[in-house]
Amino acid sequence: MTFLSSYDLWAALPESLLALTALLLLIADGARRGQAGGVTLPGISVAGLLASAVAAMSLWGQGGTVFGGLVFDDGFASFFSILFAVIGILTILFSPHYLRVRGMRLGEYYALLLLAIFGMTVMVKAASLLVLFLGLETMSVALYVLAGLQRSDAKSAEAGMKYLVLGAFSSGFLLYGIALLYTVVGSIGYEDIALYLAAGNRLSPLLVAGIGLLLVGFAFKCAAVPFHFWSPDVYDGAPATITAFMSTGPKAAAFVALIRVFGVTLASASSLWITAITWLAILTMTVGNVVALRQTSVKRMLAYSSIAHAGYLLVGIVAGTKVAFVGMGYYLAAYALMNLGAFAVIILLNRRSDSGYALDDLKGMGFAHPVLGIAMAVFMLSLTGVPPTAGFFGKLYVFSAAIQQGHIALAIVGLLNSAVAAYYYLRVIVFLYMARPEGDPMVSQPPIYRAALIVCSLLILLVGIFPEQLLSVLTLAVP
Amino acid sequence: MELLRHIIFWLFAVLTVGSAVVVVFHPRVIYSAFALLFTFFGVAGLYVFLSADFLAAAQILIYVGGILTLIIFGVFLTAKITTLDIPHQTHQRYVALVPIVMIAAGLFTVVKNTVWPTAPLPHHPTTQVIGELLLTKYLVPFELASILLLAALIGAMRLARYYRKRED
Repeated sequence: MTFLSSYDLWAALPESLLALTALLLLIADGARRGQAGGVTLPGISVAGLLASAVAAMSLWGQGGTVFGGLVFDDGFASFFSILFAVIGILTILFSPHYLRVRGMRLGEYYALLLLAIFGMTVMVKAASLLVLFLGLETMSVALYVLAGLQRSDAKSAEAGMKYLVLGAFSSGFLLYGIALLYTVVGSIGYEDIALYLAAGNRLSPLLVAGIGLLLVGFAFKCAAVPFHFWSPDVYDGAPATITAFMSTGPKAAAFVALIRVFGVTLASASSLWITAITWLAILTMTVGNVVALRQTSVKRMLAYSSIAHAGYLLVGIVAGTKVAFVGMGYYLAAYALMNLGAFAVIILLNRRSDSGYALDDLKGMGFAHPVLGIAMAVFMLSLTGVPPTAGFFGKLYVFSAAIQQGHIALAIVGLLNSAVAAYYYLRVIVFLYMARPEGDPMVSQPPIYRAALIVCSLLILLVGIFPEQLLSVLTLAVP
Repeated sequence: MELLRHIIFWLFAVLTVGSAVVVVFHPRVIYSAFALLFTFFGVAGLYVFLSADFLAAAQILIYVGGILTLIIFGVFLTAKITTLDIPHQTHQRYVALVPIVMIAAGLFTVVKNTVWPTAPLPHHPTTQVIGELLLTKYLVPFELASILLLAALIGAMRLARYYRKRED
């Protein structure tokens, strides 16, 4: 039989390790029933993620596909598998403290997180819409539960419910689009679809409808305006560590899938969708930023800022060149670090029981906790896009790729939006350093948590000051 | 023979759409659940018309036998749900008209302008072919689906399990 070679199985090692770790976590959780806390579960999770990242690094994609053309084995997939493992490790390092403070049972939290990461890596490796859909659903199902994990908290329950209903709805659109594409092309492999379009077949109305539905489905998953209504409530209601995770990892996975499907596979039919994505990008940037201006809760502000960043990333899809995709890869990695870090700081500084994450909580904390203050300032400057942070270069590469392709108006809208965003990001720094703290400024800072925060902010500066290494890796890897 | 085919097809089509309308508009949830049975059954009939015998059988087994039974159990076990007036009136009807008209017009245009293949399909049994493909060419999606179901299972148990308030 020739349908499966040992190389295929080796190429699936990073994902297999993730799935195995998730199973191991379930067994370990059952074995230590009744004991709260401890480092067993986070320890196993981090070890599993590290092993998966090392496997992805040493089996760096050779290009091409495995498993009979269903799964990509390229550097782009390897890069994001490693990024997802890093996002997972950081999320887990921030988690035990949060779970303890919120009085949440550990239970299946880590196993579901690992399954979500598994789904994400499947999404970036998918070379067929079928595999993409299965990866997306595995990720989504795990996230629905994680968002609604705090069932006794009305906001968390609402977040889980809303996410489930709207997520299922958008999956329906995506699946309908996939079905229509299959009707026309007779295959759902990326390569077959690209070949069909390149062969200059007449664009049948069914194909147009299929691509349209696919776009709606993706727009839901990326929380692009006007398909964003679920995301502020879900991001606001979900446990804060999960919000940090959701706004970085799954978003990156959705954008990689968008690059592979729209940026590469459907590239020769770009006249059909480029106007639609241009308007999605403009609306997403503008609405995200304008609404973020008015938020008094930092958590909700970061939720809207996450929508705005999705808009900047969509500019890269419109540009549609290799340079743009390299820029997007860089941006996604940088955004993951700064957003995770920002959430980690506000989790520490939130001292109220109502999990309000009010801006007032940050008053004067920059002086009371120099490390947290400086880290938060780095994250905010990077989110604004101030050089020499990584956030600046991410925006620079994506926007300059758009200008090269003649989308000058779009790049200008992006730049104006970044200027608007500076107001609400810098306001956080103002609160940190320009007022006296209210009440007792003491907060507990577990050493690992602190170390992870410092690593985050150092990485942002490092990647920002020396962007060439990451860029050269991505340039070789991009499809 | 051809006339008989047409009559049976239209019976299934009317059954599917008609009971789907009942599902959406009936004020009692239990009636909606039972109407759903006929929708699923009608869709299974349409699959038979498309020579998809395995799919038709799976539709009956999984949707009628599994999912529908689950919904009805859900209705049984939820106290007072049978008498509960589930609001099925829509808010902002007139605003909703805009996307409805747009989507309907879009779908109509697509259906009208597509050249549909009309040659009769050969009636070959599909089960063996599907089985072979699932364990060879599509082994990866098959395995992925099992992990997806595992995630759904763990998640459902986590959410449904009873916790004392302190622990939740």
